Amino acid sequence: MPAERRLRTPLVVGVVILLITLLAVIQVRSQAEVQRSLLSQDNTSLAFLIDDLHRSNDDLAKQEKALASRRDMLSGAGSAAVANAALSAEAQNLRIVQGLDPVRGPGVVVTVDAPLNDVDLQDAVNNLHVAGAEAISLAGRRIVTGTVIEASGGEVLIDGVGVRGPWTLVAIGDPSRLATAGDEMTRTLRADARVRSASYRADPDLTISSVIRQRPFVYALAP
Amino acid sequence: MLAAWPRLRLYPLVALLALAFGFFFAAQLRAELIPPSNRVARNEALALTVRSLETDNAAYRSRTAALQSQIGRLETDAALRSGASRQLADQVAELRAHSGLTRLHGPGETVTLGNGQSPKGGAAVSAYLVNFQDVQDVVNLLFRGGAEGIAVNGRRITPESRIVGAGTAVVIDDGPPLVPPFSVAAVGNRAAIETLLAAPASLGDLKQRQRDYQVQLGWFGAGDLVLPAADTGLEPQYAHAG
Repeated sequence: MPAERRLRTPLVVGVVILLITLLAVIQVRSQAEVQRSLLSQDNTSLAFLIDDLHRSNDDLAKQEKALASRRDMLSGAGSAAVANAALSAEAQNLRIVQGLDPVRGPGVVVTVDAPLNDVDLQDAVNNLHVAGAEAISLAGRRIVTGTVIEASGGEVLIDGVGVRGPWTLVAIGDPSRLATAGDEMTRTLRADARVRSASYRADPDLTISSVIRQRPFVYALAP
Repeated sequence: MLAAWPRLRLYPLVALLALAFGFFFAAQLRAELIPPSNRVARNEALALTVRSLETDNAAYRSRTAALQSQIGRLETDAALRSGASRQLADQVAELRAHSGLTRLHGPGETVTLGNGQSPKGGAAVSAYLVNFQDVQDVVNLLFRGGAEGIAVNGRRITPESRIVGAGTAVVIDDGPPLVPPFSVAAVGNRAAIETLLAAPASLGDLKQRQRDYQVQLGWFGAGDLVLPAADTGLEPQYAHAG
């Protein structure tokens, strides 16, 4: 049966090629898949990112609602009194944000007895900002982004004024997020050999009475 | 009839058919036996959610910026209603400028930061990468130098700004992730800022990594820098005047 043999040989070749291709494709695609998943962020990071984005979008939705209400109030202001009320409300909000007025609200008090330096304190302030603090005081001084915390001659200066421990941080803002941050911060600090004690307490009604004096612009111009 | 076919023409045809079937079966098998492993599928689903939330976030920011701009115009109009309104509107305009809610311009310095070179030999070192703490250090230093307004890669820093890291990216106020190189622009006293930047004690860690890993760190002045307005609202939700 020469014709049958002639047919069998190419069939065998074909099956071998098919198997090799099959194996090669599975191998290449599996590796590519693993590579792609390794190159992208891991699931935990993505889950955290999703949490942050949800929170940010919720915050932005609230901000948008408040701004739309202010815009409507201003655009429908038939009298100077209504316009002035809207302007006063915005001025008060911005004075709080810039630390120009005393504030009260829910939050946490973190107390640390340790020889912390300017970097430690800046980190602590950053942690509270990230946890949604709307107003912060450190060692009795009001802190906003832009407040200078630096070391000079062995002491810590806040906006040029010398401060010392034991350190008390007061943060007003979202009580639940701030309590979580306070817990994490103090646990981390207690693991530090320099720290004699670190604790926090949540409080539904805290007051920060220290304020910042606004510095007028010297170089900057607003349009 | 088959016997008439030259063998040379049959082999490539069979090989081609086998190749095609091979791809088909491989795809089929992979779909059945190793469905994009659960981890990969989850990863893709999460990434899709992130992209969708980022799109929403950008839309919120765009609407917030538009609202801020409308409010600014309405406040200018309101100032015409009475002397008291004018005084209040001026006060609000100044507060908005100091809060980063309006565009700002003036002389200033721009600090540039970029990743360095990965150490040879595959050592697990990340010191050649610039991170959010480096950006935070530069921002703090610029404020120390008296900066009156700062923007990082076009994102304006406000009194409530939060700078955090997300992998190798930097996220400011929950905005879109920023990746190196970073450009930190500050309006203020150029001479004071330049002196501070050049001081050996300033940005010590970054300067050390610049020597060790060629991390990119530089700065240049400009006669008139323009900083954009922040695209967030600054409406305290928990803190009230006390």
